[in-house]
Amino acid sequence: MMMKNTQMSGPKNAVMLSRRRPGSSGVEPFLFNTFNTLFMIFLVIVTLYPFLNTIVVSFNAGNDTIRGGIYLWPRQFTMQNYNAVFASGTIYNAFLISVARTVLSTLLNIFLTTMLAYTLSRREYVFRKPITTIFVLTMYFNAGLIPNYFLMKDLHLINNFLVYVLPSMISAFNLIVIRTYIGTIPESLVESSRIDGAGDFKIFWRIIFPLCKPVLATIALFVAVGAWNSWFDAFLYTSSRQELSTLQYELMKLLSSSVNANSNPSVANGVGAEHATQVTPISIRAAVTVVASVPILMVYPFMQKYFVVGLNVGSVKE
Amino acid sequence: MEEIATVAKPVNPKKQRNNKRLTWAIIKDQRQLIYMSVPLLAYIIVFAYLPVWGWTMAFQDYKPARSFSQQDWVGFKHFQFLFTDDNFLRVLRNTLAMSVINLILGFTTAIVLALLLNEIKKMFWKRTVQTISYLPHFLSWIIVTGIVATSLASDGIINDLLMKLHLIDQPIMWLSEGKYFWGVVGASHVWKEVGWNTIIYLAAMASIDPALYEAADIDGANRYQKMWNVTLPGIKATIVILLIMSIGHILEAGFEVQYLLGNGLVVDWSETIDIFVLKYGIAQGNYSLATAGGIFKSVVSITMLLFANWTAKRLGEERLL
Amino acid sequence: MGDRKKSLLRIGATALLSLGVVLSGCSSGGNNTKAANTGNSTAKNASSEEVNAANPLEISVFLGEAGQQPTADNKIYKKIKDELGVTFKFEFLAGDKNQKLGVMIAGGDYPDLISADTKLTAAGAVIPLEDLIEEHAPNLKKHYEKYWNQMKDPNDGHIYYLPNYGAYNGEVSDTYYSGPAFWIQKAVLKEFNYPTPKTLDEYFDLIAKYKEKYPTIDGKPTIGFEILNYDWKNWGLLNAPQHLIGHPNDGGVVVNDGKGEIFADKDHAKKYYQKLNEINAQGLLDKEAFTQNYDQYMAKLSSGAVLGMFDQHWNFGSAEDSLKTQEKLERTYVGFPLVYDSSTKDYYRDRPSLNLNNGFGITVNAKNPEKIIKALDKLITEDWQKLMTWGVEGEDYMVNDAGRFIRTEEQRDNTTDATWKLANKADAFYATAPKLEGYFSDGNATAASNQPEEYQASLKPFDKEVLTAYGFNSYVDFFSAPPENPIYYPAWSVDLVEGSPAKIASTKLNETSTKYLPKAILANPSEFDSVWSEYTSAIQKLDIKSYEDRINEVLKWRIDNWSVK
Repeated sequence: MMMKNTQMSGPKNAVMLSRRRPGSSGVEPFLFNTFNTLFMIFLVIVTLYPFLNTIVVSFNAGNDTIRGGIYLWPRQFTMQNYNAVFASGTIYNAFLISVARTVLSTLLNIFLTTMLAYTLSRREYVFRKPITTIFVLTMYFNAGLIPNYFLMKDLHLINNFLVYVLPSMISAFNLIVIRTYIGTIPESLVESSRIDGAGDFKIFWRIIFPLCKPVLATIALFVAVGAWNSWFDAFLYTSSRQELSTLQYELMKLLSSSVNANSNPSVANGVGAEHATQVTPISIRAAVTVVASVPILMVYPFMQKYFVVGLNVGSVKE
Repeated sequence: MEEIATVAKPVNPKKQRNNKRLTWAIIKDQRQLIYMSVPLLAYIIVFAYLPVWGWTMAFQDYKPARSFSQQDWVGFKHFQFLFTDDNFLRVLRNTLAMSVINLILGFTTAIVLALLLNEIKKMFWKRTVQTISYLPHFLSWIIVTGIVATSLASDGIINDLLMKLHLIDQPIMWLSEGKYFWGVVGASHVWKEVGWNTIIYLAAMASIDPALYEAADIDGANRYQKMWNVTLPGIKATIVILLIMSIGHILEAGFEVQYLLGNGLVVDWSETIDIFVLKYGIAQGNYSLATAGGIFKSVVSITMLLFANWTAKRLGEERLL
Repeated sequence: MGDRKKSLLRIGATALLSLGVVLSGCSSGGNNTKAANTGNSTAKNASSEEVNAANPLEISVFLGEAGQQPTADNKIYKKIKDELGVTFKFEFLAGDKNQKLGVMIAGGDYPDLISADTKLTAAGAVIPLEDLIEEHAPNLKKHYEKYWNQMKDPNDGHIYYLPNYGAYNGEVSDTYYSGPAFWIQKAVLKEFNYPTPKTLDEYFDLIAKYKEKYPTIDGKPTIGFEILNYDWKNWGLLNAPQHLIGHPNDGGVVVNDGKGEIFADKDHAKKYYQKLNEINAQGLLDKEAFTQNYDQYMAKLSSGAVLGMFDQHWNFGSAEDSLKTQEKLERTYVGFPLVYDSSTKDYYRDRPSLNLNNGFGITVNAKNPEKIIKALDKLITEDWQKLMTWGVEGEDYMVNDAGRFIRTEEQRDNTTDATWKLANKADAFYATAPKLEGYFSDGNATAASNQPEEYQASLKPFDKEVLTAYGFNSYVDFFSAPPENPIYYPAWSVDLVEGSPAKIASTKLNETSTKYLPKAILANPSEFDSVWSEYTSAIQKLDIKSYEDRINEVLKWRIDNWSVK
């Protein structure tokens, strides 16, 4: 699927681009391109640095990092920080749980949100306005910690894997973004299918859904990143079942325990920490960040394909 | 009947909106739309609206160990605590200021970056820049503020640079002057989120019909004219909708950055509503105050949202509702 | 089509059903906490059950601190399982404890054992332990005998928690001082031939002289004095005045004759901050003292360029470790108990006090409180305690001919390795559990760090040189031996009750100090007085009375109830 798309998009894009910018000659485009390139180089440096620095710190000995002055190369290379991250063995299972919840959430969100967005994009739909309003408002209030806990408890979602997925199947923000996008799709496409006798579900599934690829790639990324990074649900709802713990929550525990070990008078004073630990919160935090973010970072480059495919409406007609 | 039957085929959308009346015929005609949306409506009501009974907490001295009927009702006590605190107005000002700064900076930088990225011809370079620019989004605020604090230190890179350029001759104490604080927070947000915020505009740009660019070329439009007349209008709907939604979040200036970068010397500029509520609410086991703060924010949010939506309607722009 | 209709019906029905459930949930939620006092009545029923390998018992434990799951084959937990039949199922906290406890209490979802929190007591989530201990736990009874009255809850006189630290066995001779002091680099002392600064003036004189002589250290500008005031780590700014007038650490108050009073706005506080203002004008104070975060503070300390600071020792331990690995021993610190007036006796070092509102409590959800207390009772016996602190004999430590416990360098290194500890130590349990402190009956220290041989082995030649110059055995000797603690001590452990006017006043007092003191210190010396009076008038607006009243109420209760026997 992806392969096929790449092959198709390559030449098509080339054509599009060349058509778009014919004969870029003269001083003006040169100036613009130079400025643009310089600006992008600046941007790359500025945004790459913090991440690079985090990676470097994660490979540097903790009690050396504490002196500061670690920038782009480790001063005392070590794997200790990673050893500490992988020490307890609970994170392998947590990784699988995180992958499962992310995949499931993304699929459900994409399908349900787009389906709902389609109905809300239909101007003739009688419930369009109330449903839109009801969803939009959810962005601006929160019932609070304890009432939400009761809800999950009553729905038997405490210590249940589904608590990672069910409460967040549709996000109002994504819904509106998709609805807005669908709004830019020419109405004629829907009309012509309707004349062919297609019902709304069929129109949604056959026409709209495929046309939404660029925005769905975006939303998929948002949902996946959100699901991957969330830890609060694990903290509130599943923390007493170790086998349901997620990667983010395990890493958080690890991080806070290293902060604790370094700031707890009773520990420093007495048992267990006779000598200094060689890992420090700063170095653990760096290693944790790398372990937590690298898997999800892989997603974006795949999504990017869909951004540049270009919705060439003329070619959709089949 | 005849008229209703045509409703499903939107020949003239403008006209229909006025004609919307709930009849069985319409329901039958739109049954697929209903099947596709009403169960999800029920879903959101259960998961988002039902627990709102919890807002009653704001009017109680809520004790988690007691049942609903055993709680002490205290009326507006917690709202009073919130609104009459000496610091409240200052905290509100800080929240609004930082959130407006974030809003303006966030929108303009993301849109400009999206436009510039869109002008890059080499696909590989474009993707590389995109991918790298969104990396800081994945760093936690504690790491980002750590780097910000180091860079802004008296021997940090910012002061070094300014000194070398002879723009200053004394290091600036960025984090001990209240007047810089909002700017530092705004800049940190841009740095962390600009690449991420760009993604949504890039997706919107992908939907622009290339024929429009061709037409512009034929008209002899230059690059800036195409940006202004084709690209920007092409993503306008997205911009407007995102803007309306963000205006609803006007009291969401966050707390992490301010908490991590703030200190006693700048507290008059750094403390936000969220920090205030955290300090006297959750941290004191006072869930009632936390709820009261939440209600206040929701009321303001929804008012602002409706106002923004109304304004958009008046201006004839894309609307949220 | 029909199929879809059916499934839609089902979704609708589910939604309605859950609606009903939720509504009923609103009214029934939080009812499960009534059984607070039923722990005793069930005591008799199950008392025949003993704790041994034949009677497996799983105890679920919620730990209010972050930690990591031990490995599945952890050798200590395995022993506990093999010999006592007890397995622990740990739940660790990461994230905000207030939020977690809030939902736990609201839902009544408690584990069997839980680490102490006053919220839990207030919610009736834990059962009284005194009868259980009397009947089933002779070892615990003996362990806490001296402290029995102190363990009682000020509100109802029951014992709900087993304090994890502070119940000592025998006189303790510490070799490591972890508390507050004015710290100064050993290099400064060496430079001036090991003087003993007693007052602030003498201390800052040394620093000023050294800084003048060495304006940079290893290429970095010398920082005379450093103050950390970041987040909750604010004692570097706030706590010094009470010590300077010869009082121990009572937190935000100074206690005289059993009556506490805040000192933040008093003249003896002003004197200290005025001195800081003065040294700032001299350029001795770090310009960034009040904007730096903890990481930056640690970076400065571990660069070796900071000559002195007021702090608690444990707070900068890792900076000293870093200096040690850089072989910059002369840049590590010695603490001095400074006072305003050299005739005042210093009272920085105090005797250990019972760690109230800490340790384990047994919740109302525990099915078998007797067996749990019996298990805890077994685990506080010397053999088990040795396993938890020293480890397994022959593997983790050796016993020499004189019966002394000693460790090899490798064994010492092991205990600093987080990965090793997860497989070989029972720290998760031990940190919160009741524990023997001081000495075992065979004379060995309960903790390796307090074993004199271990301490001597850890001393580097340079340390020996410094100690010899002063004629001391350890760095603890720089502090006067502490007198017997006042009965009520320490006032900082008073529970101010969350959300109460007292707690709010205390929060606001902290906030006010954090805001005005840096201003006062950084002010032009001629303006110090006006900033100071701004500060004191801001304090006067606060409800300090509630704060002091609450403290004094509890202090009085302690004096009335804690008097031994």
